[in-house]
Amino acid sequence: MTFAPTPEQDQLRGEVRRFLAATSSSAARRELISDGTGIDRQAWQTMAGQLGVHALAIPEEYGGAGASFVETGIVFEEMGYALAVSPYLSSIGLAASLLTCCDDEAARKDLLPGLADGSVIGTAALADEPGDFDPGRLTIHAEHEASGWQLTGSSAFVTDGMIADLILMPARTDGGLSLFALDGDACGVERQPMSALDLTRPLARITCSDTPARLIGTAGEAEPVLREGRDRAIACLAAEQAGGARRCLDMAVEYAKTRVQFGRPIGSFQAVKHTWANILLQTESARSAAYYANWAIAEEPEEVPVAVALAGACCSDAYVAAAAENIQTHGGIGFTWEHDAHLFLRRAKSCQLLFGSPDSFRDRLAELGGY
Amino acid sequence: MKIDWSSEDIEFRARLRAFLSDHSPGKPPREKAARLQWQKDWAAAKFDAGWAGPSWPAEYGGMNLSFARQVIYHQEMAAARAPSHPGTGINIVGPTLIKYGSSSQRERFLRPMLRGDQLWAQAFSEPDAGSDLPALRTSAVRDGDDYVINGQKIWNTGADVADMLFALVRTGSPDSRQKGITYLLLDARSEGITVRPIRDMSGRRHFCEIFFDNVRVPVANRVGDENDGWRIARTSLGHERSAGALSQAAFYRRVMDELIEVARSTGATKDLGVRRKLADFDMRVRLMEINATRMVLTVMATGEPGAASSVSRLYNTELEQELHAFATDLLGVRGALAGADELAVQRGRWVTGMLITRASTIGAGTAEIQRNTIAEQVLGLPFDPAMPAR
Repeated sequence: MTFAPTPEQDQLRGEVRRFLAATSSSAARRELISDGTGIDRQAWQTMAGQLGVHALAIPEEYGGAGASFVETGIVFEEMGYALAVSPYLSSIGLAASLLTCCDDEAARKDLLPGLADGSVIGTAALADEPGDFDPGRLTIHAEHEASGWQLTGSSAFVTDGMIADLILMPARTDGGLSLFALDGDACGVERQPMSALDLTRPLARITCSDTPARLIGTAGEAEPVLREGRDRAIACLAAEQAGGARRCLDMAVEYAKTRVQFGRPIGSFQAVKHTWANILLQTESARSAAYYANWAIAEEPEEVPVAVALAGACCSDAYVAAAAENIQTHGGIGFTWEHDAHLFLRRAKSCQLLFGSPDSFRDRLAELGGY
Repeated sequence: MKIDWSSEDIEFRARLRAFLSDHSPGKPPREKAARLQWQKDWAAAKFDAGWAGPSWPAEYGGMNLSFARQVIYHQEMAAARAPSHPGTGINIVGPTLIKYGSSSQRERFLRPMLRGDQLWAQAFSEPDAGSDLPALRTSAVRDGDDYVINGQKIWNTGADVADMLFALVRTGSPDSRQKGITYLLLDARSEGITVRPIRDMSGRRHFCEIFFDNVRVPVANRVGDENDGWRIARTSLGHERSAGALSQAAFYRRVMDELIEVARSTGATKDLGVRRKLADFDMRVRLMEINATRMVLTVMATGEPGAASSVSRLYNTELEQELHAFATDLLGVRGALAGADELAVQRGRWVTGMLITRASTIGAGTAEIQRNTIAEQVLGLPFDPAMPAR
């Protein structure tokens, strides 16, 4: 464990940051929001091709770079800082994570390379209601027909579901919980956008009707894969949240230095200072927690459950707090549609709830702690 | 969470552990004077065996350890429940003398301080100069080869058992603030010094007020130049706080585990809300360890502790305060007992801790001042124009 980045990691961060500064400006973000697809295809290709960030944590034998979650953590943190509109979390944080964990070599060989080079946009239906994964509540079921597996039922809250080429979907089979892969435009698939709170990350409801799907791994044995995949997704998200929290802090502090009232910058008032000192405590802890979770995934599997529960709770709360106070410090203009502050709050709030609530992460920590 | 120690450092840890196991300090005596003697005996034993002063130069009896070994040192001492150093000066006046003391001051004072033969107490704060320490008024007027001191200090921990005091006094004009302060070393038993213990809200008498009535102090006991005391007072030897951060986090891990045990044994954990609050504190204690690891690793990699260190003190003091308040709540009606009643939980330790930790966010820099400092020095937010110039 180092915390202190290697020169290569610093370089990676610098490249990603510069790229995002050029492609993820406030204006660019607004355009993508109104276009509604959730993707800038050209930026996506550059990220995958030139920057190579999609391939980072995917093993080399599947077209990846064989780097670790520490490296992807850096990318997620920068993307969170930039509030980038991109299916990167869905494709790499969710889909690639699940596939890397699955016990199906053929599936890994067939499906990971497309994710690694960006030619395939992936996602996974991991955020079904009510947010904490309970196979007993799944409504999607799979039947094995002569022609193969077919899925019927619907799943909601699928991030980037409208544009995904590859959708990973848990479903109930006779043997229990199973994992399937289906094409976004497969026969019998109906995709509907949901009215997402987060304008920068579209959500979809996916309804299947005898939709052909590929079984990943062994039927009825998907639970460990789903758990592991979800842990990785949360670690990626935690890094994104830590970056987003820091962006809110930087934005507010910058504003507080220049906004003058009563003849002095508002940042010279103690109430404002104390607010941001408090938020700094939270954002620095979030940064540490996200690093820890990603490091654990890379190096210390035994510590992953605790690290992920901790990062899930800590980073969500830090992002929401920073985003809320960012609005507060901006006063009236912070409350406008035109100002970007609400975009961060929408992202922060959604992230906090999509893959497990703050309470559920604490419950998990209590469970792991034996009390 | 792992730090990759070098094989030499691992061997250093083993040697220290062997020393500690051969010279186990034993349990702390309850009675105050006996406890002080216990601390002094341990300090002397450590010193004589060459295991004192991890960050001090060897010429004053220290070990001059690398940062990594300082971390290991604090971890092992904490794990062995080694007594803290007698007196309160060692981490403050010690580094100041090492850096700014005259050779004669260093000769006279450093070894006895490190060995625990001479106990020190700090005399900085005054009734009218707490957070605003530069407003201090205890005066020092030059008379021949002496300064004559008049005034009052307060919150002086351990002054009643101290042999020596280190003080900041006013040698400049009354409104000279930082520019007119001098650093002096005083014999605590000088004529004209009166030390009065103050009872704190938990009932203990750990700190004092000190009255100075025409106390004579030789100029040879001045550290650095006249009116340069403010600058000198801000010395530290290196990254002592970072070096102790992991052992501090380990201490809180123990406290947290003990709290969980209390919650279990009283049946409080049957309540989901209690479990969630416990998990929240558990999370914060784990974060303390992660942040400490981050600080240590960052010092080892870059020589500086980095961003995590600026917030660590505030983080820790608020956590310990909130944790003890929550612990008291957990006890329900037994939280209304403050001593060794038969119904009190663990002799009232959590409740007493709740009282004592009210001072965590006050002493050695209030939380408000810490927040101001973080905001101004780390975030670069503007100074309050209503405050006096720095």
